Amino acid sequence: MSDVVVIGADANGLVAAHLLARAGHKVTLVQEHGARERTSGWVPAALARELALDVAVEWPDPWLRAPLDGGGVLELWRDRAKSVDSIRRLSARDAGAWPRFCERMSALARLLERIYLEPPPSLVDLRFALRVRRLGREAMEDFMRLLPMPVAELLDEWFASDVLKGALGALAVRHLHQGPRSAGTAFRLLHYHAGSPSGVFRSPMSNLAALLHTRAGVGMREAKVSGITVRGGEVTGVVLDGGQELRAPLVLSAADPRRTLVELVEPGLLDPDLLRALRNVRARGVAAKIVLTLERAPEWQTLTLAPSLDYVERAYDDVKYGRISAKPWLDVMADGASAEVHFQYAPHEQSTDATIGERAAKLLAPYLPPIKQGKVLAPPAPWPEGQPHQAELALDQAFWMRPLPELAGYCTPIKGLWLCGQAMHPAVAGIAGYNCAREIGRA
Amino acid sequence: MLKTTPFHERTAPLCASHAWRRWAGHVVASSYELTHEREYHVIRTAAALFDVSPLYKYMVRGRDAGRLLDLVVTRNVQKAAVGQVLYTPWCDHAGKVMDDGTVARLNDTTFRMTSAEPNLRWLQDNAAGLEVDITDVTGGIAALSLQGPAAGSILASIGAPALKYFRIAPATLHGIAVTVSRTGYTGDLGYEIWAEAGNALALWDAVMEAGRPYGIMPAGLLALDMARLEAGLILIDVDYVPARKALIESQLSSPYELDLGWTVNLDKERFNGRDALVAEKARGPAWQFVGVEVEWSSLERLYAEVGLATRLPSATWRMSVPLYADGEQVGYATSGGWSPLLKKYIALAHLRSRWAAPGTPLEMEMTVEHRRRRAAARAVKKPFFDPPRKRA
Amino acid sequence: MKRYDAIIVGGGHNGLACAAYLARAGRKVLVVERRERIGGAAMTEEVFPGFRFSVFSYVVSLLRPEIIRELELPRHGLHILPLESTLTPLRPDGKAGDYLAQWSDHDQNRRELARHSVRDAEAYDEFGLLLHRMARAIKPLLGVAPPDPASLDLRELWDLWRLGRYFRGLPEKDLHALWKLLTMSAADYLDEWFEGEALKGTKSASGIIGTLLGPRSPGTAYVLLHHYMGELDGVFRAWGFARGGNGSVSAAIAAAAQAHGAEIRTQAPVSKILISGSSATGAVLDNGEELRAPIVVSGADPRRTFLGLVGEQHLPDEFAAAIRRYKFRGSSAKVNLALAEPPRFICMPQPGPHLRGAISISPSVDYLERAYDDAKYGEISRRPYMDIIMPSMLDPAMAPPGKHVMSIFVQYAPYHLNGGWNDARREELGDTVVNTLAEYAPNLKSAILHRQVITPADIERIVGLSEGNIFQGELTLQQMFFLRPAPAWARYRTPIRGLYQCGSGTHPGGGVMGAAGRNAAMEILGARA
Repeated sequence: MSDVVVIGADANGLVAAHLLARAGHKVTLVQEHGARERTSGWVPAALARELALDVAVEWPDPWLRAPLDGGGVLELWRDRAKSVDSIRRLSARDAGAWPRFCERMSALARLLERIYLEPPPSLVDLRFALRVRRLGREAMEDFMRLLPMPVAELLDEWFASDVLKGALGALAVRHLHQGPRSAGTAFRLLHYHAGSPSGVFRSPMSNLAALLHTRAGVGMREAKVSGITVRGGEVTGVVLDGGQELRAPLVLSAADPRRTLVELVEPGLLDPDLLRALRNVRARGVAAKIVLTLERAPEWQTLTLAPSLDYVERAYDDVKYGRISAKPWLDVMADGASAEVHFQYAPHEQSTDATIGERAAKLLAPYLPPIKQGKVLAPPAPWPEGQPHQAELALDQAFWMRPLPELAGYCTPIKGLWLCGQAMHPAVAGIAGYNCAREIGRA
Repeated sequence: MLKTTPFHERTAPLCASHAWRRWAGHVVASSYELTHEREYHVIRTAAALFDVSPLYKYMVRGRDAGRLLDLVVTRNVQKAAVGQVLYTPWCDHAGKVMDDGTVARLNDTTFRMTSAEPNLRWLQDNAAGLEVDITDVTGGIAALSLQGPAAGSILASIGAPALKYFRIAPATLHGIAVTVSRTGYTGDLGYEIWAEAGNALALWDAVMEAGRPYGIMPAGLLALDMARLEAGLILIDVDYVPARKALIESQLSSPYELDLGWTVNLDKERFNGRDALVAEKARGPAWQFVGVEVEWSSLERLYAEVGLATRLPSATWRMSVPLYADGEQVGYATSGGWSPLLKKYIALAHLRSRWAAPGTPLEMEMTVEHRRRRAAARAVKKPFFDPPRKRA
Repeated sequence: MKRYDAIIVGGGHNGLACAAYLARAGRKVLVVERRERIGGAAMTEEVFPGFRFSVFSYVVSLLRPEIIRELELPRHGLHILPLESTLTPLRPDGKAGDYLAQWSDHDQNRRELARHSVRDAEAYDEFGLLLHRMARAIKPLLGVAPPDPASLDLRELWDLWRLGRYFRGLPEKDLHALWKLLTMSAADYLDEWFEGEALKGTKSASGIIGTLLGPRSPGTAYVLLHHYMGELDGVFRAWGFARGGNGSVSAAIAAAAQAHGAEIRTQAPVSKILISGSSATGAVLDNGEELRAPIVVSGADPRRTFLGLVGEQHLPDEFAAAIRRYKFRGSSAKVNLALAEPPRFICMPQPGPHLRGAISISPSVDYLERAYDDAKYGEISRRPYMDIIMPSMLDPAMAPPGKHVMSIFVQYAPYHLNGGWNDARREELGDTVVNTLAEYAPNLKSAILHRQVITPADIERIVGLSEGNIFQGELTLQQMFFLRPAPAWARYRTPIRGLYQCGSGTHPGGGVMGAAGRNAAMEILGARA
């Protein structure tokens, strides 16, 4: 078995590295950035099993808490009956619709889960078509209708309550340069639902990367990669900052494809049309992160401030013209007396602007214990332009299009060079790496 | 409105025929006199002056200028000496020809590229990651082409240096700063003169003045077309469809299929289309681009059968004419006409490789008095006309 | 009582086309039209003495060439005049030369584009070529009845298989390019190709027409194709103007229908479609008159047809629910002006060929997006997108000698206006349009002799298009092809036996295209199109 170099020690890089190591390769993992404690996203049972991992996956419960105008709070729980009770206080009709909504969405999410654990199907894949057909008429029609729909339209069809629709709509457009009235955002609701229990439309957090990070079997190097070497159309290794070369006939990159193929590979090796397409891949960051230190721990785990679809849409309107949302939607996760605030929208170039902290603090003041200190954090380094999916997860950059049709199969035109980052199908941390490693095994 | 060239003020009054043709969005003379015949013969006997300003021109400068051009074109640009000019096609990633033109090395890090189609975007896209500056100088540079046996003497008389075939050098002609290259599109002894657009009229006057004792004449595109046919030189959009404009696969051509295999330098480690061209070379191209001669006796017979004297095209035609062999269509001619010099009916044609060897008997479709007929023809080597003075 | 083989409800161009095809096949056909004239939204009216307007739809863009051919429309009076150019003024307070023009001549067009961006001029041809290929790929879909992908019916499966085979036969890269067009926003799509704001603005404008979406909304890129579909066959250009106005399109189709023996009755409003058991048996007029036929075809939009003329009680719940959620959201208005003299645009002050083409107020994508932002929250765009043509420049008979008519298509004017539409809001819209346009052509105001303003509410009231949607329902991905107007019922049939639909609310949707009418007739006749 040959030497392998994996670039990037995020969940994808780690999963791919350990899978290849278990398959007998000698793997070196180049960690370019500091490790992150928690991984956001579904951890499929198959992945945990193949890596023999005992992963802790958790959702906050209630997984959604949204304050109501006249006091009180909407709470959505894993327990559907408790959610129904909470919704009933807003609208009896909505409460009645919730279980059915959850079932319909689950059916589609289960389909996505199966699609996510494989390389993307081809657009005219017969098996894929048959699989969709097997869902039965209702789910199939849902799938075709829902995929291209604005999430706002979907929610309007089911519910009347502004708070419910606002919060669900906001979570669907998380990290997307679109608002809830944009077509294709209903798909995003399903994306975050995949891998979660029925009725939970939020990705879990896990210790996937943390577990793998400390596990033996893969050689770890802390360094920055400055180039990927290619000879005669085949990859020969990577060059580290400082000039050291790691030779390997198999290189996987969890870095974003643009960096991998445009910056790390020497000019002139790839089709200029492919490079042009890579430059056109959209990867716009739209969120800022604020860490708050509170006087005391709040009595809840999560809080979402997105009172209506129009509110979220107006927040989006600002970023269309390159402005920070005057009234952003906010999603808070508390851990003891520390709270992490997701602030959307802020254009990437302004994502550490001082006003962001002030705006968030002002909006949150009524719901939080007093804030001792707030800090706006720059997005993690591996996120190109601040986009965690590396390529915005929109329908034209999903499935067989992700990140480009020519690259959707994880391999590149350079023999031995593979892509395994978040920009790859299915844009779930760890699973892109899992799929990529399995494809290498098949090749 | 179409653009006029920097020489328009001079060419317009000379254009007695009022026959203008479009070329890359400009108007240029088809012929100046009422027929183009004399203009053609001047190319072969004295010197003809063409306004070739509509050519697209790019300055490529910087540390990686040679590297960029080497990625783009099929020939080896970095090996070219300063003062050398290369004729070359360039391909897309699939090895299909996008355009053809020249690359002139003006100094170590400066090149001038000419092309038939606009190429700024393509050059820029290929320049990703390279230290190079690309400027479109099409409108800023006026270009004349002086072609014919007397061309060298005329230019020497106003201060041009002696140049070898496909060389370029700066010069001062009659006080005007220019670059002169020994290049052309006629297959004859010829030069091209490049000057700033502001000096165009003075340059025209100087060359015309110097050429008068030698019998210089301005000439239009009809005469040029005849000369390039005799020289076996391809014309974009006529003899091949550039890859960017092809609607279907079968419209694409590789350099090998256009008889430009000699320009493909597979020793270069990388350039657009290399992998595809390596494979095609190993496989052998499906098509070849060759010369075709129609047999006079056959032609004469076809006309005689209907009681007419043989009719010959008065200018180079540009259309697709089927060619047959062994009872089936084996290719098509794309340019053709009667060579007034060689006294032959000649054409440039795409033939399936099996029928492309010189001497292969063919039949060319002819419409004789409203009827489709076939005249005997055969594949021949290009160029049809190749005087020693061209490269001497 | 007279008996017919088929009754067509609604004499719009699709209803007429359907009637013509049925009559041509020997069926005894009656068209009943509510108004005193035929044509629906494709009609010409002398609104002011001597000034004739295509009051609603105003260009011929997509009328299917096979309909022109098969119904011999030119013989019945159709004459389409090409619109040759598009002029986009760059800014209101500009100077002469501050425009971007797109011309039909390739060299002239390239030169003009290069004036703004050499890269754009180069990309333009490649872009055009790609869209041509895409238009070609999608063209066969326009003429078929979309199969139901969930059905087990043999015929549906066969059609599905044929469709699948067709797509599998396309080059993969074309399929991907098509997917991009279907799922991207016009703005993002154009960003991949061009840098010039006015060019992107003008091109993306075609993606928002008739829809309450902005150019940054995904799904708007697809309509870019429409510009290239007409050009494809070489029969006529993408945008044309019918001599005598769009009423002459309807008139020609009606003449063809009548020549084949169809009967057309105007001022015959249908109040109810007669249903017996689960079959349609005819229609009842407002005056109580009953008309009987085993086949009833509705050219009205799905909401009017099913929730109005049929009634929910006759429909399966699922289907009724699908029709209820089918989106209209009209967002376009028309302002028709009678002018004493042609407008003089600051950017191109001299009279010239630009007045024979379209004039597009779409200086940038942001301009359009801001116009959309207003409408998104229920307001009239403060600075609307406008697509202007001057029919009298192409057909002088549209106005008295020396005078002109100007047709201004306006977006956005949302049907669901905050506070609702009334006379004051209508005039406010008219003023907004005239004031905005006068910033580009200052002589406009003094040249206006008469003004007609048509809001989405007016379109609904006069022509009967629900919510004033000009396409009988938004052309979004979830309302297209086998989902138009409802899943499982996209092949012109309905849950009521004998009742068919033939309006733009069915595949392939809106524009003066006629495909829905023709496809419906083919489906009724059992022929494969």
